[in-house]
Amino acid sequence: MTQRLLLFVAAALLMAAPAFTQTPPPSKTRAHVEVLASDRLEGRMAGSPGERLAGDYIAAQLARIGARPLPGHRDMFESFEFTAGSHDGGSRLSIAVGGGPGLDFDVPEVQALSFSDDGDVSGPVVFAGYGLVVPESQGYAYDSYATLDVKDKVVVVLRYFPEDADQPTRAILARYSDLRYKAMAARQRGARAIIVVTGPRSPNAGLTIPMSFDTAIAGSGIPALSMTGAVADALFAGAARRAGTAVPSLRDIQQQLDSGNPHVAGFTLPGITVTLKAAVIRERQRARNVVAYLPAAGGTSRLTKPWVAIGAHYDHLGRGGLGSSLASKEEAGGIHHGADDNASGTAATLAIAQTLSKEKHRRNVLIALWSAEEIGLIGSNAFITTPPVPLDQIAAYVNFDMVGRMQNNRLVVEATGTSPVWSRVLERANVAAGFDLILQPDPYQPTDVASFNQAGVVSLSFTTGSHADYHKPSDTADKIDYEDLDRIADLASAIVRSIADTDAAPAFTKVDQPTTTRSSLAGVRVTTGTIPDYATEVKGLLLGGVTGGGPAEKAGLTKGDIVIEIAGQTIANIYDYTYALELLKIDVPVKVVYLRGAERRETMLTPAARR
Amino acid sequence: MVLRIRQLGVARLGVVLVLALTVGVQAQNAGQESTLLSRIRRLTVEGRRSGEGYWAPDGKSLVFQSEREPGNPFYQIYTLDLATGDTTRVSPGYGKTTCAFIRPGSDQILFASTHHDPKSKQYQQEELDFRASGKERRYSWDYDTEYDIYARAGRTGALTRLTNVRGYDAEASYSPDGQWIVFTSMRDAYNRALSPAEQKQVALDPSYFGEIYIMRADGSGQKRLTSVPGYDGGPFFSPDGTRIVWRRFDEQGLIANVWTMKLDGTDQRQITNFGSMSWAPYIHPSGAYILFASNKLGFENFELYMTDIEGTKEPVRVTYSDGFDGLPVPSPDGRRLTWTSTRSGGSEGQIFLAEWNHQAALAALKAAPPRTNPPAR
Ligand SMILES: [Zn+2]
Ligand SMILES: [Zn+2]
Repeated sequence: MTQRLLLFVAAALLMAAPAFTQTPPPSKTRAHVEVLASDRLEGRMAGSPGERLAGDYIAAQLARIGARPLPGHRDMFESFEFTAGSHDGGSRLSIAVGGGPGLDFDVPEVQALSFSDDGDVSGPVVFAGYGLVVPESQGYAYDSYATLDVKDKVVVVLRYFPEDADQPTRAILARYSDLRYKAMAARQRGARAIIVVTGPRSPNAGLTIPMSFDTAIAGSGIPALSMTGAVADALFAGAARRAGTAVPSLRDIQQQLDSGNPHVAGFTLPGITVTLKAAVIRERQRARNVVAYLPAAGGTSRLTKPWVAIGAHYDHLGRGGLGSSLASKEEAGGIHHGADDNASGTAATLAIAQTLSKEKHRRNVLIALWSAEEIGLIGSNAFITTPPVPLDQIAAYVNFDMVGRMQNNRLVVEATGTSPVWSRVLERANVAAGFDLILQPDPYQPTDVASFNQAGVVSLSFTTGSHADYHKPSDTADKIDYEDLDRIADLASAIVRSIADTDAAPAFTKVDQPTTTRSSLAGVRVTTGTIPDYATEVKGLLLGGVTGGGPAEKAGLTKGDIVIEIAGQTIANIYDYTYALELLKIDVPVKVVYLRGAERRETMLTPAARR
Repeated sequence: MVLRIRQLGVARLGVVLVLALTVGVQAQNAGQESTLLSRIRRLTVEGRRSGEGYWAPDGKSLVFQSEREPGNPFYQIYTLDLATGDTTRVSPGYGKTTCAFIRPGSDQILFASTHHDPKSKQYQQEELDFRASGKERRYSWDYDTEYDIYARAGRTGALTRLTNVRGYDAEASYSPDGQWIVFTSMRDAYNRALSPAEQKQVALDPSYFGEIYIMRADGSGQKRLTSVPGYDGGPFFSPDGTRIVWRRFDEQGLIANVWTMKLDGTDQRQITNFGSMSWAPYIHPSGAYILFASNKLGFENFELYMTDIEGTKEPVRVTYSDGFDGLPVPSPDGRRLTWTSTRSGGSEGQIFLAEWNHQAALAALKAAPPRTNPPAR
């Protein structure tokens, strides 16, 4: 058949079609996705105008179906604060040779590192090479501080790691070249401050270090600056002048270090005193969860857990500036529409709420649309931290994240291990719904269900899985499979209905976490069974939970404890903690110092092997 | 409607492409399965394992076996209402049960059970203890000599014992008119004097003595239909009630083939000669072809196949998924298929359900080449 004939036939069928068929019911989800994923909402980055518009839209939709603000709340918005970025707050550096007058530099020649502590510091200067410390456990000795005393001094280090080292050596050194790790190493040796320079033989030679987005809120416990190559030159020239020697170029110094030879040492800069100020302004922004409820039909006084909750995150990546964008070079900076992630889940939640709003149920149905999920489950964590409804009154939480791209009728259900009721409830509801269910008992998922699981709430999460447009601008509304998205909403409605109307609340089962903890360092070989809380600002490591049966639980640690020291390493933040893991040995007990409330406690923890 | 279908087509194609990027092999397989099977889904979720799902004559419910209640590590029998999703246990709840079937024109359900054995509960505990010990067992199916066939009345729940002899009686199914039952029995190993070689065989594997029997729906008139060494089992009636389809193992129990015969045991015809373990045959309601499972592609890799009713064509492969696919049962209207599979992971089966494309099945059989190895008649 020719192309034209084909078109003709198609057109004829098209015209004939309404005569034979009923029009399909309008999609319950399509309009929501199209609004939320539209250009106008600019990718719904937490704290952005687009996110505000999205929140307003969601609240209006919830009001339209008769959902109400939670008891005692004026509106449906639960706002919370988070760190959205940082900039320099007036850092300075003054170099004095001998007792002479100082040579002054400020922004942009010097600039705080994004994780710097604020502070005014003065002291003599030690150049510590690349500032690298490789733990003994790596079977490769490299310690930039081996021959140096940096106590009460200001440490100057090179960025990156030795440029000319052979590949295996580079592979090891690279892992310890993170600036946070370098800052920690300096701090732990008593340094007052650290200044980083990008060597002339390295990429970005001589440039200061951009203040990256850093959601890990806590500082590194030490003032930390970067300086230009010119400032470094002034520093080294001053030292040479003072010592009466020829001016060694930074290039020469770097070249000696670049072989990777661990015996090339740093040195004190004689007669130099620096005075510095480090100041970081962290941009605290506010984002909003949208939370509402459908009241139960009658009294809930006989129910131990009078609530059942559904939810999804509605925020996305904006224009992708935060690092979790997977946009190609050509797409970079474009609006990340987030139709599947997670306009689809938001639409499913709204559709379920609409369905349930027309029925009578024995439990209150809590409806929550989270913000700031993409930057670390911050919205749902805020809910869990200061719950507007007591968490032990929530019978179950059902989550949706990326439910718009069904493949081969497969629907993945996560967190099914959190209660023995789920298999029965799912089997029954799915007989009519007809999905090819893939069950994943594990609730430790990178979505809001993890927050609820850690709070001991029975939970369940639906997803149709990842795809080629994941976290890219091309995740658009036209690619969503609305027919199947509506089917998912129907299935989930049946599930929520059964929980909402069954007297007994589902029993909670604690699922042991698979031993791949989130760690920024590949190759960590031990686990302590802790679940860090990434979202709350504290000095130390705040535990969001502990793995069932894991070393931390056995050591008596629990959610809410703040670990401040492990194996003699002080812990100021999650990064220190990650690095400290490197020092631990399987089955060798170490001392852990932690705060429980105001009380300082100690325990012994025996690390286990990671599977 | 045209528009919707076209959009769907585009979406599916996109999906296939994405899958091809991520899990290439699976995508291809799903594509191959989709000619005959669509909307594949896992039907049973609860419990450790489920299998042998057989349709009610009206197609509105299934009867199946499942291990899903604490305290009993053996199968019990359940019905599943396909409108409400409700499951109801119809077997006693203790002992071992297997192989249920719903009686046409009646509310009766038959199944095999050992619950009359006073040691039933002791065996349950022993099995639970054994599992807790973490040891591995070589054989997963035992041919408990206590198995007898029962019919359960739907309204009263009263059980009628239809067989009562030593030796495994199970794998029973009703004729389309509901008046007859065809089943497997190993009674031949216990009701006569055995030669020393036969005694050894009983100890090793009594299924060697499995033969096909027929009886009236009330258990009367029990009559043996086969008498060839090796496990004859899994019999079902043809849709018109004139023939029986079953599978016959060789003496070693490694090769099995699909056979059919008349209700009196005459005119036994070998339908497949596939050189593998071809078993669990079931005739499509059209009467045109037989669905069965075979490990043609590897000892542990069972897939569903089909062959025309006379076995003149080379079998056509139906499933293309990792793991076990077996025990196919078409719905009474011939438009759906249930089967037991491990495709969702793990080693234990669950029941799957899909839409069945009968026209595509006929076309595929028509296009299939003639059988390469016709058995000698
Ligand atoms: Zn998401
Ligand atoms: Zn995301």
